[in-house]
Amino acid sequence: MRRKAVLLGLLLGIGLSQMGPFRARFEAALHSGGHEFAQVMLAQDKGQALCSQYRDKLPPDLIPGFLAEQKALIKYPANGKLMGDWRNGEKVFTDPKRGNCYACHAGVPEEVAYGTMGPSLTAYGQRGTAEPVVRYTYEKIYNAWAFVPCSLMYRGGVHGLFTPEETADLVAFLLDPESPINRR
Amino acid sequence: MGRKRRWILLGVVALGTWAGFGAYTQQQKPLDPFEEAMRQRQMYLETFGVLPGELFVEEGKELFFRKGPSGKTLEECDFGKGKGVLEGVYAILPKYFPDTKRVEDLETRVYTCMQTVQGFKPSEIKRDEVKAITTYIASFSSKARIQVVPKHPAELAMYNLGRELWYTRAGARDMSCAVCHDQYAGQRVRLSPVRSPKQGLGNEWPAYRFEEDKLYTMQDRIDFCYESIAIPKPEFYSEVHIALTVYMLAEATKAGRSFEELPFFTR
Repeated sequence: MRRKAVLLGLLLGIGLSQMGPFRARFEAALHSGGHEFAQVMLAQDKGQALCSQYRDKLPPDLIPGFLAEQKALIKYPANGKLMGDWRNGEKVFTDPKRGNCYACHAGVPEEVAYGTMGPSLTAYGQRGTAEPVVRYTYEKIYNAWAFVPCSLMYRGGVHGLFTPEETADLVAFLLDPESPINRR
Repeated sequence: MGRKRRWILLGVVALGTWAGFGAYTQQQKPLDPFEEAMRQRQMYLETFGVLPGELFVEEGKELFFRKGPSGKTLEECDFGKGKGVLEGVYAILPKYFPDTKRVEDLETRVYTCMQTVQGFKPSEIKRDEVKAITTYIASFSSKARIQVVPKHPAELAMYNLGRELWYTRAGARDMSCAVCHDQYAGQRVRLSPVRSPKQGLGNEWPAYRFEEDKLYTMQDRIDFCYESIAIPKPEFYSEVHIALTVYMLAEATKAGRSFEELPFFTR
């Protein structure tokens, strides 16, 4: 009888504790990689944790809430202009420490060392510069997960890889008719 | 071959690479990276009569037969098929070792035996030496069929940890291994083709990378991947490397993959 009670208590304890045995073992493995590695791997935000847990395929009932939370993370330039300077946009686009966009996307036709994981952005400007196009482009660049949960495309704005103003410059690089991405 | 001679040769080889690489990046059309690596490989063979990777094998062989403070060489270490057996051991690693009661990959096993068998202190063990010895032992599994099949409970635990790491999205670029290497296998990051474990990801290490003029082991390559996705690289011989290696090579085993010529020559 007493044994049963202890066992029940133990099971309840495991059930109610924050961390299961697998999670505890996993965290120990992360720590074996050293402090800096473990710190970044353990600092997942809610979105990253959900994408990891569901192997990048969220259950349908979680998607609306996920998209709304991601949308709420988007910040806009103080001056309200979502289309900035394409010349600076090209620098952010190309910089491996900021946009690093050529890793996955084709851009200016002369650049041949582009990745193929994302769609080609050459001539992206053919969509025109109507307000909904500009707004979609801005928000997609700032936080891709506000549109496609757990996409490969990272949330560069959310993580501060580029500022809201630089995001507007990236929008201009994609949409400005003068941008080399749209030149024929 | 003496170590000095190796460095002189490598220096000459590096100059050649540098010149070749300049021509490579200034091309109008991107070259296929694997074709380019094979062209460079041929150039080395014709110019020097030896591949850079072979120099590391030679150095590793010298170190393998060097006596440690205990008076023993690494011939006394069991690398997975019994003491002194090197043929095909790389193809079955990582595996569980009863003496350490843990799963070890080849690099970690070398690091372990240099301490437990040869009597070196951890602070005396140079990373470059472990790399060279690893390359020497791996050369006995050139083109071997990968045979990593987790069976022991510790191996199964490592596989599960590796799979969890594989899917963990973290860091300022929201990356995981899976998001590129599963979903977009067959595509390119800039000019680099990306493969999945089932396509044999990881089957070319240790390899000499001519663009970097360096030898990369599996652990070096995993670290390079983490750094390129804005996650600080894990420290060598960690469970992170071992778990990920078990996961990737077990998947490659299921798909019937084999190692390349080891050490491989790549970009």
